[in-house]
Amino acid sequence: MSHWEIILGVAAVTFLLRASFIVFADPQRFPHAFRQALLFVPPAVLAAIVAPGLALPGGALDLTLANPRWVAGVVALVVAAASRHPLAAVAVGMPSLWLLQWAMG
Amino acid sequence: MPRVTPPSAREEFLAGAFEIAPLLLGLVPFGFVAGIASVSAGMTPLEGFALSVLSFSGIAQLIVCQLVAAQSPVLVAILAGSVVSLRFVMYSATVSPHLAHLDRRWRALLASLMTDQSFSLTTRRFSAPGGPANRHWHTLGMSLTMYVAWQLTVAIGIVAGASIPKAWSLDFAVVLTFIALLVPVVRTRADLAAAVVAAAVALAAAGLPYRLALVVASLAGIAAGMAIERTRRR
Repeated sequence: MSHWEIILGVAAVTFLLRASFIVFADPQRFPHAFRQALLFVPPAVLAAIVAPGLALPGGALDLTLANPRWVAGVVALVVAAASRHPLAAVAVGMPSLWLLQWAMG
Repeated sequence: MPRVTPPSAREEFLAGAFEIAPLLLGLVPFGFVAGIASVSAGMTPLEGFALSVLSFSGIAQLIVCQLVAAQSPVLVAILAGSVVSLRFVMYSATVSPHLAHLDRRWRALLASLMTDQSFSLTTRRFSAPGGPANRHWHTLGMSLTMYVAWQLTVAIGIVAGASIPKAWSLDFAVVLTFIALLVPVVRTRADLAAAVVAAAVALAAAGLPYRLALVVASLAGIAAGMAIERTRRR
């Protein structure tokens, strides 16, 4: 398995996406629908990463109380949304998970 | 009293470095986890550090590590890294009018160092009253500070990674950092629709091979956001 091809490929892609408009293109010349679609990239992509991390711990959907991750994740989500502090999710989520894991033995 | 001369390049650089400093605290666990993830995915320390130095994106690094750990094909890993990096296109489009007066080398340098954090602070600095003058140095001060801090924490993660007990479930800290990034970008009803639909599709499509669910879910979420935005306008 060649990790270097992946590393160089991702390096090239992240640079080209960052440089896209700044270096190569005139933002005014892109269609409105495309620019609008870009606005929804962050919430969509981030949610698509978070959901499986909470609800699919072993690769299968588990929304029971036997899966502490989604419980701790929802707690972290609520506290982060209420406090708006960038560290809140990690500061609350990790102890919540440890507590739940400890309570379940 | 308004200043007659704009701040010097040096003043702008230092102001940028100081402005980003409080955000570095949130970076530390994230970089640490990114470093650990590369080693536990089976990369050598050199490979893990190269990935970080060359791509400078925590999210892209973590997704690539997940796919390397799952032994995904090279192209699938690169595709997934691209999808999670699409938000850079939006940042690039937003920042580009402010940097249009710079030569190509400056623009390439500032683009290559752009992050979620520096993007929003750059927009704020350039939107302040007054001409652009030396403000690109502000962006550079911020970005370089963040770059150095990031690589240091990733390096510490790579070195320390092997000695962290699995019972600590540090991989969960990665999910939590994504929650921390998700919360502030959900501002409107359309953003919420994009997030909820993407999350639901990500779970429903989880059986797809090579984590293609991420791609499908992201596209579904974007479509949902646009649809809500359209009904609101009417």
